[in-house]
Amino acid sequence: MQVMKRISAIALMGALGASALAGCNTEKVNMESGGSSGAASATTTQASGAAASSGTTGTITYPLTNAKKVSWYIQDGPVPHTSFKDASESPFHTGLIKQTGVQIDWSFPTTGADANSYTSTILADPQSMPNIMTGYFMNNATQYLDDEIIWDLTPYLQEYAPDYWKWLQSNPDYDKAMKTDDGRYYTFGFFREDGGWNDSYQGPVIRKDWLDECGLEMPKTIDDVENVLKVFKEKYGATFDAPIKNRWETMGLAGAFGAYGNDKVDGTWGYYIKDGKVQFAMAQTEWRNYLSWLNKLWDEGLIDQDFLSEDDTTIKSKVHNNSTGLSYTSMGQLNVWMKEAAANGETCEWVGMPQVTGNDGTLSCVFGGPGIGTQTTVITKTADEETMKTALQLLNYAYSDEGFLYWNYGVEGVSWEYGDDGKPKFTELVTNDTDTDPMTKYNGATWSGPDIQATNLLYQKNSKVAIEANNTWYYVYPDDMKKNDAVTKEWKWPVGITFTTAEADELDTISTDLPTYVDEAYAAFLTGAKNINDDAQWKAFTDGLETHNLSRILEIRQACYDRYEKR
Amino acid sequence: MKKSTKSKAQPADRKSLSYRLAKDWSMNKWKYIMILPVVIYLILFCYKPMYGLVIAFKNYKLTRGIDGSPWVSPWYYWFQNFFEDPYFWRLIKNTFVLSGLTILFGFPAPIILALLLNEIKSNKFKRVVQTITYMPYFISMVVMCSIIKIFCQQNGLFSTIVEAFGGTGQNYLMNGAYFPLIYVLSDIWQGIGWNSIIYLAALTSIDQQLYEAAKVDGANRWQLMTHVTLPGLMPTIVVMFILRMGNIVNIGYEKILLLYNPSIYNVSDVISTYIYRLSFPTSGMPLYSKATAIGLFNSLINVVFLLFTNWLSKKTTESSLF
Repeated sequence: MQVMKRISAIALMGALGASALAGCNTEKVNMESGGSSGAASATTTQASGAAASSGTTGTITYPLTNAKKVSWYIQDGPVPHTSFKDASESPFHTGLIKQTGVQIDWSFPTTGADANSYTSTILADPQSMPNIMTGYFMNNATQYLDDEIIWDLTPYLQEYAPDYWKWLQSNPDYDKAMKTDDGRYYTFGFFREDGGWNDSYQGPVIRKDWLDECGLEMPKTIDDVENVLKVFKEKYGATFDAPIKNRWETMGLAGAFGAYGNDKVDGTWGYYIKDGKVQFAMAQTEWRNYLSWLNKLWDEGLIDQDFLSEDDTTIKSKVHNNSTGLSYTSMGQLNVWMKEAAANGETCEWVGMPQVTGNDGTLSCVFGGPGIGTQTTVITKTADEETMKTALQLLNYAYSDEGFLYWNYGVEGVSWEYGDDGKPKFTELVTNDTDTDPMTKYNGATWSGPDIQATNLLYQKNSKVAIEANNTWYYVYPDDMKKNDAVTKEWKWPVGITFTTAEADELDTISTDLPTYVDEAYAAFLTGAKNINDDAQWKAFTDGLETHNLSRILEIRQACYDRYEKR
Repeated sequence: MKKSTKSKAQPADRKSLSYRLAKDWSMNKWKYIMILPVVIYLILFCYKPMYGLVIAFKNYKLTRGIDGSPWVSPWYYWFQNFFEDPYFWRLIKNTFVLSGLTILFGFPAPIILALLLNEIKSNKFKRVVQTITYMPYFISMVVMCSIIKIFCQQNGLFSTIVEAFGGTGQNYLMNGAYFPLIYVLSDIWQGIGWNSIIYLAALTSIDQQLYEAAKVDGANRWQLMTHVTLPGLMPTIVVMFILRMGNIVNIGYEKILLLYNPSIYNVSDVISTYIYRLSFPTSGMPLYSKATAIGLFNSLINVVFLLFTNWLSKKTTESSLF
């Protein structure tokens, strides 16, 4: 009998373990709005929550009364700071429940999981999806709407999300991006208050101290760059090197040659709009000229041999070993480089470099964007009508005056207060915190999310040198904002385009190999394995683009873009 | 008592299966219960997921589910799509070249190591060698690939060595000619100790009398190895080889993904990395159906190789899996 019990217990354990594994490992946090979270900030948020409760925004008063319970999944962006166990410890997430009066059942990708795949596992089970999903759903929005996976918010938006509605109406570009071709609103988007300033968050950087030491001027044209590289090589043995992944791959210095891309091809990069026509950056002669120049630098030994496999981590050894003097990176990484250099006692001084132009001043485009994010927040059909209405009001909060402050800075008097200039300033609670990006413990808008990101937040978050770098990269023509917009955003494949289900299917099927093909050709042309200046090899490359269905891809994208423009 | 039931059961055996099952159950109850967790495991994780293979013949959409997604027409749509892919032949070639080289050099390596270890008299030294050769196996793939990458850099270990001998260093991972070498050597380095364990275990089971008899007959050490040790190891080697051939198309994508870069795609891109790119695309939705179809195609090739090797070994060595 004893043995029997033991054995059946083992069998049961096996079965239980199996079912636990089979179910997905959602890290679920259940929180009641009044429940004690145990976090130190709980009491403080309570105090100010009461103060805020009197505030009225639009036609909705927060905190809501009689709100339904809502579940909310966030893929990335406003997720709990890594120092917290889960959302119940996160001041921002518990605070949002207080501020809005909505009980929120949070879920996020498990730490260490690939966020995209994690979202896929949730999508694969539409019946048990959280009520609100924050992720990347624009391309397939039509299918989700037609399959009744997500709510068509059109009839409800104006009434239950008046502040968001007002925000959309404030700019026709915003409105256009947040609906489908047939005018159905389905999403809450991410917007930058600055309208694109921070979308130019990466660009060329240079060792200022070396420039001064060599008595050189800040390089402006491609010839200047070449000259600086030669001097740096001679004097310091340093070459050009940059993290390819996520940084150099998108734009590089292509704009100086009139080209519109470096080697990255995906949903947004690689394609551009010129005179209403969708075109492919790598099929143009401008791109060929650009690569021919890069190849020349490579042959002269001015580019690091490890260049093609460099990323944000590996580049650091080059940066700190003085083996590169000219690079390309983001403002966040620039912060990190300088911080680490200071910690090591190095004397290097990296600064943002003005966008490089052609010798005749040519500049077709720079790394930038329209200030609208591709991350979207949708309400799924697991929410019944009443829950959906609560969700609308909950999401609306971020776009109200009061919610804007909360999403960007947290609770007034706790994580921020008004400074002498009348602008919000983080308190010592944040500024003395030595964790990485401590403000993300209290706010939600640092990276993305369904909110409007305050420019002031970015000023507070970044170091002076990084902000100046961003200014340098963005204000190409500071006196002529129209011209500036043309190079920073207007050429770009617009955010918010929706494909039909058939189009999305076909594109997914025929365009899988194109990024690999271009990547490979880029490497071959750069290193000289294939000769970019040889017409036959160039023709072989452009013919190859056709084998990879380029014409058909452009045709579909053109049709889609035309519909978008007609919205 | 027992004897009488047995004799009575004899004619009943032919009559009813359920009776036989019931009898077997009463006799081997505990064995059945012991195997139950394994059976549950196999059903849940090996047989039930097989149902998912139908998406290789459907246009699978996450939100529509396996049953809700429409069938493709013709049914071989995704297979055809893969065969017509511009990269198809390159993927096949690279997969077989890398896998073939790994088997050619990587398979005998642990056997040789085991034979050499077997010849060592000093137990202490033997253990030290064994520990050192195991160690790389426990290094995580990510860390190992980072080490390889750093060694291969322009100013890395290999370049430094080459330069010391008067050559010019380079980034060896940028040169397609070196990739198979780097791949196979690092594979051997990482797996040689671990994979030799099974052969060492088999060595202990060889009858010591055989050695003594051979010695009496005047065999030297080399003859002992070729005439006693190797034949004794042969059944293990054959089984391991058949199993290895059944994995011929399965090249771990992790290592290649971590090591490759665009300049060596032409020699390093294999079927598994291609499936990875389909499943985690840089844009758009993953092509689950196509990835599943290729996976199925992969398994079919593996099965063919397994059966072929098994048949061949049955013919030649008379030892086989089944």
